[in-house]
Amino acid sequence: MMIEVSGLSKRYGAKVAVDNVSFTVRPGRVTGFLGPNGAGKSTTLRVLLGLDHPTGGTALIEGKRYRDLRHPLRKVGALLEGAGPVPERRAVDHLTWIAQSNRIPRRRVWEVLDLVGLSDAARQPVKKYSLGMGQRLGIAAALLGDPEILVLDEPVNGLDPDGIRWVRNFLRGYAASGRTVLLSSHLMAEMAGTADEAVVISRGRIVAHGSLDAITAGHPSLETAFFALTGDRAGW
Amino acid sequence: MTAVEADGGLRDTGEIRLTDLMHAELTKIRTLPATWIVLAVTLVANTALGFLAATDVVRVAGQGGPVAIAQLGTLLLAPVYAFIAVPVFAAGSEYGGGQLRVSLTAVPNRHRFFLAKLLASSGVAVLAAVPAVLPGHLVQHVAAPRGDSGVGSVISGFLALVMAYLLVGLVGFGFAVLAKTVVTPLAVLFILPVLVSPMLGGILPGVVRLLPHEATLSFLAMPTSPALALGGATGLAVVTAWAVVFVGTAWWVNARRDTSGS
Ligand SMILES: Nc1ncnc2c1ncn2[C@@H]1O[C@H](COP(=O)(O)OP(=O)(O)OP(=O)(O)O)[C@@H](O)[C@H]1O
Ligand SMILES: [Mg+2]
Repeated sequence: MMIEVSGLSKRYGAKVAVDNVSFTVRPGRVTGFLGPNGAGKSTTLRVLLGLDHPTGGTALIEGKRYRDLRHPLRKVGALLEGAGPVPERRAVDHLTWIAQSNRIPRRRVWEVLDLVGLSDAARQPVKKYSLGMGQRLGIAAALLGDPEILVLDEPVNGLDPDGIRWVRNFLRGYAASGRTVLLSSHLMAEMAGTADEAVVISRGRIVAHGSLDAITAGHPSLETAFFALTGDRAGW
Repeated sequence: MTAVEADGGLRDTGEIRLTDLMHAELTKIRTLPATWIVLAVTLVANTALGFLAATDVVRVAGQGGPVAIAQLGTLLLAPVYAFIAVPVFAAGSEYGGGQLRVSLTAVPNRHRFFLAKLLASSGVAVLAAVPAVLPGHLVQHVAAPRGDSGVGSVISGFLALVMAYLLVGLVGFGFAVLAKTVVTPLAVLFILPVLVSPMLGGILPGVVRLLPHEATLSFLAMPTSPALALGGATGLAVVTAWAVVFVGTAWWVNARRDTSGS
């Protein structure tokens, strides 16, 4: 197993954000991490990456805690909520310090900028970027280490249809090359055609885990399956 | 945008070393426009004050009549409060837009992350203090008509000033990590000499002279008043203690704190 989360809990004060969550993520496929707003997706991913400390349980990458990885960015590339560059810094400089911190060659910075279509805007300060450009920069940062595992929190937020299609195809290709992709979303429909597997979380607990087909079987649409599982009408 | 890259684009380039992390931190400092603005402001302010102190063309109204600028320690040290924005931004800019989460996914070992940032910020503070301080110091002491300064005392005065810039900078650095912002440390450290010392200096001199600013002035042999004076060595020890407490607490907190919540 590439990613193994077991019995994971996270409380912030009195608020239980994640409650005894267990699931695994396998290589060679795209796994969707689904749940309505506030379900605990971002919290789970933060704990997985060592940014927040678990109240209980473990979250391991190939059997190790993230912080014990020898080359973190070559093993895992991550795009996280609330993890942005300093707005005054130029995009190319943002990627440069990340690359230096993990001994990633400088030319790779331009490769990933090219990959996400930001080469021409690379020398602009990030504060001039649109929402979608910022998202592309985050994806570029995740790809810097050419990692075996991608962990992406709502990667298509703010992207235009063209960008969404690109991310979708890119992730399918990535998984097809035998690598591991875990991506979160609060929109079931987004997962159709992207994810092979799904882990569904609601109010901090896992409510379904399996192939996307199995999870949606017996429901007229992806959307109704989602609402049935999460007990949410329309999210509010 | 193209399809997935052919594999093997990245070879294993060996163990990540502390110097790699320091390189990354130096790049962060160097590519922040605020760094260069602040250094320019410090240089100009120091040079102007050095000129005014040396020529004594301007005097400031004081309680016992006009006071020479060369006697006004607080004013002469004022540029340090621009300068410390360099280490304060190095630490505090991690928090505004959430860069810290990027930093800690790149460098998940919190101790190594903090050490690299501390070393890079200290190194930059010392190196940047030289050009920021030297012209003003030379103007004030070499050009001074009073001829009070031998070469030895000019050099030792200069080194003490660089040391002072580093130590006050480290107080700001630790403070910024603790406060998770650049604003609070700059505001508080500026308010101490401007408001707190004048208001409380007469009532509680024993406490006020231990504040970072007053202790620094004692170390630099220009205390605000005899009542607020410490010996030079004591002054140095007191500012150093402030720096150690702030940096040490910041290290401890950073090692344990979640990136979300308070
Ligand atoms: N630092 C924190 N302090 C207090 N509560 C928190 C904190 N972080 C998250 N929470 C709470 O934990 C719950 C889960 O939040 P989380 O951000 O993980 O949800 P999510 O599934 O990512 O939602 P979204 O789809 O809106 O991004 C929410 O109720 C949130 O309010
Ligand atoms: Mg979220």
